[in-house]
Formats: sequence, C-alpha cells, structure tokens
Amino acid sequence: MLKLMKRAGVVMLTSLAVAGTCMAETRLQGAGATFPNPIYQKWVTEYQKANPDVKIDYQSIGSGGGIKGITEHTVDFAGSDAPMNKKEITAAKDAVVHIPTVAGAVVAAYNLPGFTGDLKLTGPLLVDIFSGKITKWNDAKIAEVNAGATLPALDITVATRTDGSGTTFVFSSFLATQSEDFKGSIGASKQVKWPVGQGGKGNEGVTAIVQAVPGAVGYIEVNYALANKIPYALLQNKAGKFIKASPETVSAAGAGAVDHMKESLSVSIWDQAGENAYPISAFTYIIVYKDLAYLKSPEKAKTLIAFLKWATTAEGQSLATSLDYAPLADGVKAKAAEAIDGLTYSGAPLK
Amino acid sequence: MSESLPTTQPGPEQTGPAMSFDFKARSTGISGDTVLAFVTRASALSVVLMIAALLIVLTTAAIPAVRTFGLKFLTGTEWRSNTLEQPRRDANNKLMFDADGEQIVDTIEPVFGALPVIWGTACTSVIALAFAIPLSFGTALFLIRVAPAVLVGPVSFMVEFLAAIPSIAYGIWGLFVFGPFMQKYLEPWLNGLFGSVPGLGFMHFNGATTGRDMLCGGLLLGIMIIPIITAISRDVLTGVPRAQVEGTTALGATWWQSSKEMLKFSRSGLFGAVMLGLARAAGETMAITMVIGNNNQISPSPFAPAQSMASLLANEFAEASGDLQRSALIEVALILLLMSLVFNVVARKLVVGKDSRSAAAH
Repeated sequence: MLKLMKRAGVVMLTSLAVAGTCMAETRLQGAGATFPNPIYQKWVTEYQKANPDVKIDYQSIGSGGGIKGITEHTVDFAGSDAPMNKKEITAAKDAVVHIPTVAGAVVAAYNLPGFTGDLKLTGPLLVDIFSGKITKWNDAKIAEVNAGATLPALDITVATRTDGSGTTFVFSSFLATQSEDFKGSIGASKQVKWPVGQGGKGNEGVTAIVQAVPGAVGYIEVNYALANKIPYALLQNKAGKFIKASPETVSAAGAGAVDHMKESLSVSIWDQAGENAYPISAFTYIIVYKDLAYLKSPEKAKTLIAFLKWATTAEGQSLATSLDYAPLADGVKAKAAEAIDGLTYSGAPLK
Repeated sequence: MSESLPTTQPGPEQTGPAMSFDFKARSTGISGDTVLAFVTRASALSVVLMIAALLIVLTTAAIPAVRTFGLKFLTGTEWRSNTLEQPRRDANNKLMFDADGEQIVDTIEPVFGALPVIWGTACTSVIALAFAIPLSFGTALFLIRVAPAVLVGPVSFMVEFLAAIPSIAYGIWGLFVFGPFMQKYLEPWLNGLFGSVPGLGFMHFNGATTGRDMLCGGLLLGIMIIPIITAISRDVLTGVPRAQVEGTTALGATWWQSSKEMLKFSRSGLFGAVMLGLARAAGETMAITMVIGNNNQISPSPFAPAQSMASLLANEFAEASGDLQRSALIEVALILLLMSLVFNVVARKLVVGKDSRSAAAH
C-alpha cells in the first residue's frame, strides 16, 4: 500500500513537471453564475476542441462569487446573472464591461393536480401570490384571467430561493416593476425576505418543492422546468398578451432592450414592450475589465477576446438554442461585438 | 495497509508518530518515552489550540454585526439582507419628487435579527426531545431489564447503527419518504385536530401541509438523537448499584416500581444524556435544511415552515452578499457554538461529574 502511494506520488510529480514545461498552452479561469453553466461548459468543450492550445475553466459558484472573484482579481472573467450594482462597480475600481452571452427566462412553475391546459398569470397576480395576499388557487382574481378553466380549491404554497441568486434578482426586479408596494416592502435583490412559503436552496431546491407539494408555485429558470417537465404559467406582457417562455419570446424581449443599453452594456430586459416579448427575461453576462492588462499577458487577453467573440456570434449562439437558452437578438449581438472590440490592453487596442 | 506497516525500512513516507518506535530514534539516544511524551502532549495541545482558534476567528468576524445590532440581534424578528427603497409620500399619499423631478425614496438598510432562527432551533429541538426521550429511555430500560440475552446484541447494534448513518442520508429519507408521508397522512389530520380543539387553535396552520415544517424537522432530529440518548442513558442505568435494585424488589416493589426507582436514582445522569442529545439536535444541519421549509419566520404552528440556526447558515453563507450579512451569519454560528459548549459542559457534569452514585459504576 505504502509503495503504491509512493508510486502515485511520483506519477503526480512527473505530470506536474510536464504541465509546467508545456507553456504553449493559454489558460483562462472564469467563475460565477450557475444558470449559464451548462452552456458555458458546452462552449468551453467545443472551443477547446477547435483550439487545442487553449484551456478554459469555468466554475459555477454563483453570481456573487463570480463578482467577488473579478473584483479581487482571482479569476480572469466572471459570470453573473445580475449586472454589478453601484457598490460593486465602485469596489472594482477600474471600468468593467458586461458582455451579454445568452438570455434566459424565469418562469412561475406550478403543481396543480388535475389541472390541464395552460395557467395564465399576470404581474400583479404574481405580486399578490408571492406576498401572501392570494392564498387559494380558486381565488376570484386568478379565475378572472383564466376564464373557462376550473381551478382547484387548493391552498397556494409559495416556493422561493433561500440563497442569494440571479434568479431571485430577476424575479423580484420584475415584481418590483409591477407594484410600488412590493418594491418598498420586499424589494428587488439577489436575496429578499419572502413573507410566505417554503424556501429551497438553488433552482433544484425550489424545483423539488414544486414537484412535491400539490398547490405549489415557485420561480425557477425555464431550463429547470423543461428538464423536469413541470408546467409553467403563461405571463401577460406589457402589450397585454399571454406569452409562454421560449427561446423566441425571450430573444424578443432582448431585442426590445437594445435601444436603452448603457455603456457598460448592463440592461434589464424584464417587462419589455413588444408583442411577443416574455416579461421575465434576463441576460446573463460575462464580466471583464475594459482594460485587459490585469490578465498580465497579451496572449491571454487575445485568447479571451477570441473566445468571447466566438461565443457571442453564429457558432456559439446556435449551441445556445440547442440547450434551451435564448440566443442574443441581432441588435444585441452587434452591441456585444462593439464592446468586445472596445477592449484594450494597457490602454491600446488589441489586434 | 496493515500488511505493509511492520516494515523495518524507515521510508520517507513514514513520518509522525510511527517514527518514535523505530530503531533509529533509539540509537541516537532519545528514548521512546521522551518522544511519546512529546507527541502526545503536542496532540492534546493542538486540540485545545484548534478550539481556541475557532473561537477567536468566529468572535473577530462577528464583531461588525455585534457592533451594529448589539443585543437587538437576539431579539430582532427580521432577517433581511437587501436594502429597501421606499418612495416617500406626502400627507395626501402622493409620491414626492425633488427639485430635479427625481422621485424621493427612503432607503432602509439591511437588518439581521436572529430571533426567528432561535425560535426555529428551540421548537425543533423540543419536538425532537419529546419524541426521542421516551423512545430512548424505553429502549435503554428494555436492554437492561427486559431483553433476553439473544436480543441485547442485535438491538444495541441497530441503535448504534442509527448513529452511523450520515446525516445527508437522513435528510434525503426525510425529503422523499418521511416528509411526503407526514404531508399526506399525519399532518392534515393533526392540523385539523388543532383547529377544532379549543385553546389549541393558535397552533392550527392556515394553509397546505407540506411535509417541510417544524414538526417534520423536529421528528427527524428526534430519530437522529435516539442513539446518543439511548447509549448514554443505558450506561447510566447500568451504573445503578445492584443492591439498590434488589433492595426495592425485596421490599415488594413491582417490576415497574423498581424501574421507576432506577430512573429516579439516576435522574441527573439521564438529564445529562438528554443534554447531549439536545446539543446534537441544535447543531444538526444537513438533514434539517432539507425538511424544515427554510422560512425565517416565527409561527406558533408546528406545520409552518421555519428556519433553524444551522439551516440558515447552510442556506445563506455561500452566497452571502456584503460583509454585514457574513458577519451576522458568523454571529449566529458563534451563538450555536457557545450553546453546544454549554450543553456539553452541563451534560458532562451531570453524567460523570458530581453524581458520584451513578459515577461509581464507571
């Protein structure tokens, strides 16, 4: 046994030495949001296949962790569902750029035994349900928008996230646009204090509650609802239409936001105008500093730029659709390309 | 591993305590005794240092929260990590705007009050003890006084095996088996019962029973602390002097009466066993996080979701935003640590300390 351990040690040392000498490889380290993790892993795999001398590692530790990492320069790029807020931008000191990579939707997934057909909900209804003002599924207000459907006389069990998350940020931000009262008492943030219901950790925790409790409704990323075959509500958008979350309807919401994108490219795309826009849509971003000198290697900077370009254009974006993410609308792609071209290294543009 | 241990070749992988017995050490004139004394002393000291380091680090990290909230931390009922922006309204309930036409908002800073999680921990622990004490004492008495010799081995093994199950396994069982069972069968009935019994109405939960609440959390904890209470109370009861037991029987006591005397005789030791169970219940994390419902609220109903101190840490620490939240969470951890320290010290005193009568047997 001891001999075996010794041998294993020698092998490990040798492999370390080999890795050390082989410096032609360019390594990039990213960390952050869990929501885009599947597509980022897919991108990394595909990109490394085409560029064998590049090694990219993305760790899904949560948006907050990613922002912390980029602020402290422990990662090369951060993934985040929520754009950096004022405080975080101040803490980062140098100018940052948010590059939208894909868009996603947060849906109200429900468990209503015996109910077939599509449940329709509106923003104000979601506010009332998630602040505990509507407690029964057969409430007159819900019946009003679901004319013709019979809803069970079940108690509503609200399922929410307990950990800080981009999903909560997007969902509560949307609800805050629907009600001043919600904005002032519960607020829009990565973590809020929900007055009622059950808390679950992570999308999977909320999904588990919705699946287990008849009468439950919870907010999750649409991918989790699709993967677990949980029905989710159609939501009324600004144009008054009831829209089902899908790559097309989320892209439509993103397209509506192009005009008011800020310089840092962070923009909210919930509650957008547009006939076909799903109301609780959001971009997920890769965050880097505008000046890439912090990477301490022009090679790394070039690799990062090439990877970002590849991900936000044709090939990367088509992979997104295959994993149920919404690709960037053309206008957003153009903005992203512009931002990537604007990245510098020690003040000079990189060719 | 054991086969290759007796090797006489002092390889580089043989370090630490094993070195003290090889011939090389002896030949240089350092006696094995000296080395052993040094190594054991160092080991013991390192344990003390680790606890001291833990306390120092936690206390230092908790200081910002202690400064901000002081004693209100223990009585505050709100745990909110986000800043709220409330639009200011004038006397006529109209929104107010400043000179530039910007809406005036009042910002309300995050606030951290630990009372909801203290309440959650207390309630689940009480439920756990109410469930575990009769079962544990019963099992202990059974093993000592009733069980035929052939059963003692297997039953003790089973009880000890309960202690060996990882807590995540309890959690998964609680989430997928025990919780749904409670939700469908026991809870709706109990909830209805509380609603109709006068005086207990406040415990009725107006809402769907979910199988993720204080009752489920408490009962699961109860199952988890049965082994420790059983094992210690069995030791304590075995320590009752034989003459004492035979004396009661000689005086004509029935089996039940003499058992009662046994329990009475070793009550402080038994109380110690309960305290150790309580310490484990209060600190249990993984399993309770999965079945307690995770809502920082104070509700008198056992069917309402709640949050314990340990589950709060499990839920929020990794994604804690801001230094104040992290500090507040660490203060919760510190309180939890001090609580178990107190429980353990009290239990130790009761089980092996002052109570010389039951201690005599040890």
